[in-house]
Amino acid sequence: MTEQEIIRLTNDVFEESFEIEKEKLKPEMNIFQDLGLDSLDIVDLVVALQEKFGVKIRNDDRIKNIRTLGDIHKFILSLKAEGASPSL
Amino acid sequence: MKETLILIWFNFIFYILFILFSLIGIPVFSAIVAFQSIFISRRKGMKKFRRAISWYGLVIIKLLPFPFVRVFYKDLDTSGYKGPFIFTCNHRSASDPFLMACLPYEIVQVVNIWPFKLPVLGFMAKAAGYLSIREIPFGEFSRKATELLNEGVSIATFPEGTRSADGSLGQFHSSIFRVALKSGYPIAPVCITGNEKIPARGTLLLKPGVIKVHKLPHLKYEDFKDMPPFKLKNDVRQIIADGIEAMEGKKSL
Repeated sequence: MTEQEIIRLTNDVFEESFEIEKEKLKPEMNIFQDLGLDSLDIVDLVVALQEKFGVKIRNDDRIKNIRTLGDIHKFILSLKAEGASPSL
Repeated sequence: MKETLILIWFNFIFYILFILFSLIGIPVFSAIVAFQSIFISRRKGMKKFRRAISWYGLVIIKLLPFPFVRVFYKDLDTSGYKGPFIFTCNHRSASDPFLMACLPYEIVQVVNIWPFKLPVLGFMAKAAGYLSIREIPFGEFSRKATELLNEGVSIATFPEGTRSADGSLGQFHSSIFRVALKSGYPIAPVCITGNEKIPARGTLLLKPGVIKVHKLPHLKYEDFKDMPPFKLKNDVRQIIADGIEAMEGKKSL
């Protein structure tokens, strides 16, 4: 899976689960202030990302440092690099 | 110069009356309700206590600052449904919680930690069963809120979580919308305008003005039951934003 595919699939999660318009999905967007997610929405996001990529990320401490959409892209990319095999 | 003197005089008189009324009115209200509660059920006692809080709020926000501050409440919901509702309001000023007294319903407010720490008001908030959103986990919050709704008590919330610094509508927290989806009770958006400087954030100085509180038509559970919480909160946020713009003459509904 290429970097572009991971970015597209991550953005698909935001479109499908949160109905956020594609135009808003830029890497620099803060997921709290700009996209409007809160702590409970993050739980939904984690579940949706787990389902989309077939990975376990719920207990990963790195989630706490995520602020922007770009951070999520990097996080998923790092998971892939570590060997978590996305199943689609 | 004359205007400044009037402003100082207005604030001086208001705060003197506010402190006196709070120190005398709250214990008197509480004593009367406590006495009546001996002869009635706990549920009826709570109802009376919450009504007493509403009266207190109305005196503070409508009577004491009059005629410098005038409050107008309008119910735009013509459905005839009597509640209970989940009220969701915009939040621009520390006077917002007092304005909830304009809503003619038995109400419990969802508040932050700090109102519970206020000397007299904190006691009243606790006694009335107000929900401190930051001190309890979501599951417990949801259960308590649903219990109140089942008893016929409406819940009033400020989903922005904090007062707006510049008057703009902030992002909404989803907690109360998740409660609405789980409990099946309707959501009633409420728009408050005109109290941005009564008082402004970071000051206690009250400026004269006209406050409008509009209760918009409620959203029925059937209309939002299939929505994800994120979409629901943003749809309600948009309804409130449109309502505020209409009230401020920037947009027609």
